[in-house]
Amino acid sequence: MPNEYEAFVRNIERTLSGFPVVLTLRDLTPGKKKYRALHVRAVVSNPPKAGEPVLWLRSVVGVKYPRPYSVRILDELTEAFTAVPYSDLFEAMERLERSQ
Amino acid sequence: MVPKDLRSFLKAIEASGDLITVDQEVDWDLELCAFGRLACERDAPAILFRNIKDYGLDWPVFLNPIATWRRLAVAFGLPPDTPVPELYRIYAEREQNLIPPKTVADAPCKEVRIPGDKVDLFELPTPMVHEGDGGRYLGTWDLVISKDPTTGWVNWGIYRFMVHNERLLTGFPRPTSHLGKMFLDHYVPKHQAMPIAIAIGCDLPSHLAAAATFKLGGNEAELAGGLGERPVELVKCETSDLYIPASAELVVEAEVLPDRIAQEGPYGEYPGYRTGEIGHGICARVTAITHRREPIFTVDVTGLKDCSSIVTSISGAIAIQRRLEKHGVPVAAVYVPPEGAVHLAIVSVRRGGAEVAERALQTLTARRALLSKIVVVDEDVDVFNLAAVLHAFSTKCHPGTGIHVTHYEGRANTLTPCYSQAERVARSGATAAFDATWPPEWPREIIPVRATFDSSYPADIQQRVLGRWKALGL
Repeated sequence: MPNEYEAFVRNIERTLSGFPVVLTLRDLTPGKKKYRALHVRAVVSNPPKAGEPVLWLRSVVGVKYPRPYSVRILDELTEAFTAVPYSDLFEAMERLERSQ
Repeated sequence: MVPKDLRSFLKAIEASGDLITVDQEVDWDLELCAFGRLACERDAPAILFRNIKDYGLDWPVFLNPIATWRRLAVAFGLPPDTPVPELYRIYAEREQNLIPPKTVADAPCKEVRIPGDKVDLFELPTPMVHEGDGGRYLGTWDLVISKDPTTGWVNWGIYRFMVHNERLLTGFPRPTSHLGKMFLDHYVPKHQAMPIAIAIGCDLPSHLAAAATFKLGGNEAELAGGLGERPVELVKCETSDLYIPASAELVVEAEVLPDRIAQEGPYGEYPGYRTGEIGHGICARVTAITHRREPIFTVDVTGLKDCSSIVTSISGAIAIQRRLEKHGVPVAAVYVPPEGAVHLAIVSVRRGGAEVAERALQTLTARRALLSKIVVVDEDVDVFNLAAVLHAFSTKCHPGTGIHVTHYEGRANTLTPCYSQAERVARSGATAAFDATWPPEWPREIIPVRATFDSSYPADIQQRVLGRWKALGL
């Protein structure tokens, strides 16, 4: 189980709401598979909780938020979301949140 | 002679002093491309790293194949110090002499074949290019092949692709690109996956052709033949009826999914910025990988003065010149400086004025609006001399009446950094033409006279000064 991830978010308040959100996590474990993506439904904790993997958040242009958070993965989701190509990824993730 | 493949190109640039080979270990996670980025910004040689952390000596990585005019000259089989205007002239000449490709039954790029169910993209030394990118970019200096199922037209293009997991890639060929249009027009409506092949480390003319600004429906394989002055050899893919350059070091075969998305980007692209287009890409599943034994992985460390800005500088400028000629603009020369990151074109005209500037502006934004600034200068300004262009712009462009702006929607360049996120989503934007020409209605006798050496002295005085220049110790 990786102990450090990062995720890119458009709306950080939504991500930090304490409710389950859909995220694309990038595994930061050093080695050949670093940055592997996985889709999850998860709860992000602020401040980070002991025992949970560390989560770093970045904006849509990759600017890193300075404080670490932590993430509790509830479910692992499919490797790609069902949606029309070129459509908005964040809207697709929010649709999935609402349907669960 | 034009180098026939990547390996002969490496030998040629090593001989010309334009390649550094490094045997010490380098980390694929940022360190590798930090070297490459600095090399671009310093116009330094290309770099071949032989020892990559986690991958050892299995996969050497070659950075920035043609990020300088010197390396482009070598790729054309010319002396490395060939002047830029001469490179433009030779490119334009070869572009007119298309040479059809020929197919071959087998090729070195088939020496190792990995079927889809055995593919693991993390076995490739795909680098993390910039800190804060959305992931590791496999496609930076690639050649992506796709086919129009209705006409059979085959498109070659350079499009970015990011590793998502072991078999999935995400990418951002813009929706207005040839590949994007082909996918949206012919595959998505039928819910069909579109086969593609991503070829890496091909002969340089093939990459130049793929990256070139070329007409819709044009055959880039023929263009590659013309640029390389010999037919390009093509070999069939393992899992589709697409044909790839036989010279490739590595080929990733995939199908773009008509009903799936995943995170793509953000990524630091040729404009020199990482813009906010994350979340509007495509998703492709790998169906096979083939490669040479001891393959060489190639990366364009994108950003200011990268390979694509050099290629577009030359092919884009020639395409602009031809388009303006076709639409009646009295164009004399065009330069797209690499420092302008493909957002700026300098156009010299035989007759200037507002009407000409406006016509150039409308012509160059009619279909895809990749440029955001066009500087129009008189014919006596050398477009390749940026000091002369800046002088003309600063002094001749009337700030109240000399700036022409057109706004558009649905065809803007979504990578243009100054656009807002809302403009990016709507693909709306604007282009300005800066008219730095004298109004044609001004009588000759009142046009300001340049106070320069070439304009302010009689020819005999100029000759005498030039003749005595060195003798006087100047």
